[in-house]
Amino acid sequence: MATASLVLTDDSTLSKLDRALLRLERAFALISGLAVFGLMVLAVVSVTGRNAFQNPLPGYVDWIEQAMPLIAFMGISWVMREGGHIRMDIVVGQLKGRALYLTELITTLAVLILMVLLVWGSWAHFQRSFDFAAPMWSRDSSMDIALPIWPAKLMAPLAFGVLVARLLLQVWAYGRAVVTGQAIAVPLIADAATQARMEAEQLED
Amino acid sequence: ATTAVAEEWNVSLWGSPRAFTAHVEKIAELVDEKTGGEFTLNISYGGLSNNRENLDGISIGAFEMAQFCAGYHRDKNPSITVLELPFLGVSSLEQEVELSMAVYQHPATVADLARWNATLLMPSPLPQYNIAGVGDAPAALTDFEGLSVRATGGIGAAMETVGAVPTSMSASEVRQAMDSGVVKAVAFAPHAHMSFGTIENATWWTENLNPGTVNCPVVVNTDALDGLSDDHREALLGSVDEALDHYIANYNGATMEAWGPALEERGITRVSFSDDEIAAFKEAAAAPAAAAWIEQNSAAGLPAQELYDMVTGMIADGS
Amino acid sequence: MEPIDIGLWVTGGLLVMVVLGMRVAFAAGLAGLIGLIWIFWARKDFAMDDFGWALTVATKTAGQVPHSKVSSQALSLIPTFILIGYLAYYAGLTKAMFEAAKRWIAWVPGGLAVSTVFATAGFAAVSGASVATSAVFARIAIPEMLKIGYNKQFAAGVVAAGGTLASLIPPSAILVIYAIIVEQDVGKLLLAGFIPGLFSAFVYAALIIGMALTIKGFGPPVTGFTWRERFASLPPALPIVFVVVTIICFVYNPFGGDAWGTPTEGGAIGAFVVFLMALYRGMRWPQLKDALLETAKLSVMIFTIIWGVLIYVRFLGFAELPAAFSDWITSLTMDPMLILICILLAYAVLGMFMDAIGMLLLTLPVVYPAVMALNGGADVAAADSTFGMSGPMCAIWFGILVVKMAEFCLITPPIGLNCFVVAGVRDDLSVQDVFKGVTPFFIADGVTIALLVAFPWIVLWLPSLA
Ligand code: NA
Ligand code: NA
Repeated sequence: MATASLVLTDDSTLSKLDRALLRLERAFALISGLAVFGLMVLAVVSVTGRNAFQNPLPGYVDWIEQAMPLIAFMGISWVMREGGHIRMDIVVGQLKGRALYLTELITTLAVLILMVLLVWGSWAHFQRSFDFAAPMWSRDSSMDIALPIWPAKLMAPLAFGVLVARLLLQVWAYGRAVVTGQAIAVPLIADAATQARMEAEQLED
Repeated sequence: ATTAVAEEWNVSLWGSPRAFTAHVEKIAELVDEKTGGEFTLNISYGGLSNNRENLDGISIGAFEMAQFCAGYHRDKNPSITVLELPFLGVSSLEQEVELSMAVYQHPATVADLARWNATLLMPSPLPQYNIAGVGDAPAALTDFEGLSVRATGGIGAAMETVGAVPTSMSASEVRQAMDSGVVKAVAFAPHAHMSFGTIENATWWTENLNPGTVNCPVVVNTDALDGLSDDHREALLGSVDEALDHYIANYNGATMEAWGPALEERGITRVSFSDDEIAAFKEAAAAPAAAAWIEQNSAAGLPAQELYDMVTGMIADGS
Repeated sequence: MEPIDIGLWVTGGLLVMVVLGMRVAFAAGLAGLIGLIWIFWARKDFAMDDFGWALTVATKTAGQVPHSKVSSQALSLIPTFILIGYLAYYAGLTKAMFEAAKRWIAWVPGGLAVSTVFATAGFAAVSGASVATSAVFARIAIPEMLKIGYNKQFAAGVVAAGGTLASLIPPSAILVIYAIIVEQDVGKLLLAGFIPGLFSAFVYAALIIGMALTIKGFGPPVTGFTWRERFASLPPALPIVFVVVTIICFVYNPFGGDAWGTPTEGGAIGAFVVFLMALYRGMRWPQLKDALLETAKLSVMIFTIIWGVLIYVRFLGFAELPAAFSDWITSLTMDPMLILICILLAYAVLGMFMDAIGMLLLTLPVVYPAVMALNGGADVAAADSTFGMSGPMCAIWFGILVVKMAEFCLITPPIGLNCFVVAGVRDDLSVQDVFKGVTPFFIADGVTIALLVAFPWIVLWLPSLA
């Protein structure tokens, strides 16, 4: 699990946009982390309520299901920026310079196509659960306490939209790197050992 | 349309083949027979969709037929949740089918499901969700005070009126929750009590509480239905009654015959409440739930009172 | 073209994308989406006018998967298990664990290495991820072993191998993932990992003691701790016991009577206890924020793979590929046990090149039904089965075997991630050094897996009680 980041910056517009987007991405990731924390608190409330007061939290499962998309999606673009999504870099790790950037450009374009389609698909999924005319705008509700589901469903196209912006930026950056031979604003491949060292350093206090 | 084109429909169910899916298996068999193999229903158990997204799949056109339960998502199908109200007093699977079909054909229901490009084909009638539990068997309704029970939707609300504490979890987590004491009792249909293993722990079962049931229709994609040749459509729609007969015979036979011995084998006490107790329970639970349902769904633009009156009227007439 | 042919072509294309270095989550999602388009279009005989329809239906079908699949109570265990590990680090539990193990066990031959194994096993009880465990112990245990004359490579190998225990001993993110893919009881699977995890630790310890007795100049035993010192080391490590007992009691109450809740709640309560400890030990918002961001990062990585692969799995459902593979496996005339061993060996090879989670998610939807069919079906009774165990028990047994294989792959070259991490922490160690040092542990793991295959009750005894 390569989680270390190695992104070069400079004074170019591209790099400025990269860092601006990064601020948004980190904020989204922190929301995701806080949602995990919230999940923990929710369980404590539920267990205490049930055992100490004979009064379990109504719709505990429904609330967990509402929180999961926050955890699962919100940080997706940040992890892409840091080059953290898992991949097999046996082949790509052998490449250097323009050949490497060209390969990355192609795979990034492929991811971009997928994510544009998924923004459409997940938006349609949201839309089917949303109705301006209905009470609480809800056309799809959770099983136990009938919470409207559309806010949770909206998280997917929202987070995927930010990822599409990140991918557009990366396509630009790799395209530029193919021309200039210099890659900025994209995660570079450190060799596996460097990567592991950076990962370990993240744990230092 | 011509009859020459071979037709294949995908059908999205979940779990594994069981009493609850016997009518779909049967209708596939009948349609295949009647059309000489020209029209086939290709049944998938969980491969095509999540059970809670079967209506979405129908609306998209990803598959042509599916089963779902109204209680999974009340806002997707408010009209048919009238059949899930507590203490309606339904006494047999045959009656459940008759009520369901009447509701399914009501113009408000047709319009409700048309939002999903779906046409209701037939119900999957289930018996009453009586409660199996551990610990001391309740002798009177007051004994439900403080009892943690896994019950969803209208049945959960009904249990709350007598002081029980309804708790929610997916069916597959129920056994674990009962083992661990998170819930002391579970409301299920008999086949689910058997297949989800709640009777392995239970020491008692409420024989005549009859708090209500869930309504799980089989739907088809309206465009796909309209696109069928006349022969194929006739083969499908003309097989519904026979498929339902098969379902009921199978449920009343195989499942209910296994149920009694299953209780006895495990020494599970059958708890029977007096008529007065049941009447008191109904009064506490049924009327407020119905009133709330009518108010809420009228606000959402549904002829809720009319649907409710139709169902209760049919039951009063003893149909 | 038949759906199954489409299934095979798309699967081939997916492998090419993965090899070319496309991120696994997105490669799987794209393969699944293309496959769905292909299958829907094929139903219209590839008429030009119908491509738009096929694209729309496929995209909307795939677009359901991310929300639909991650909104699961069972999956909520994964982020809480990850959070526990990071909080435990800030709570000082790592150091406490190692110190206690040293004072109590280090008097045996090869004592400090044996202590390290049991300290990692103890930390595994609060950590859900192998890589993190190795990284943490590399910093604490290796210097102490070097101080008393251990071979540098071997010391690194102990830590790399010890880290893998975190994925068997509960809590374990990877066991949760297995349980979800195969739709089995998460609690029973977590429980089932406990004894094989301890068993692996004892096999490691036996190996180390054996080496210490036969090899000259191996690390000496560490003696001289007074009983007072020994007992003094316990209180700081005690919270681990408390967390373990809490989590276990939520899964299955060994003291008789009701357990305290569901596994989901147990994980969260465990995390909360460690959180309070970390607060007590001086963790403040900056550290907590780091822990939350790291948890978010790892969780998002895992969830992205989950929904990406499940788009591909949705396509497989339409292509009917799992059923076809399962039919093929059961039609083989080979000895079923031999088939099972071949499957495990295939995992060993695949695991050399792939990440454990990605590997399980990609293969299990096809392999798992085949293994279950081999045993006689998902609901088979023990008496009628091939391997002498009921369907649900076979699911647990196979899960532990597969996860142990996946852990084995964390220490095998060329991509043994644990080894990279240990080398990364220590500037004086190259990756080759760590691989050399970890070699004896291949043998130990080989022995462990063989024993788990030959004696399934090692795995099944505990879950059969629950
Ligand atoms: Na662990
Ligand atoms: Na490896």
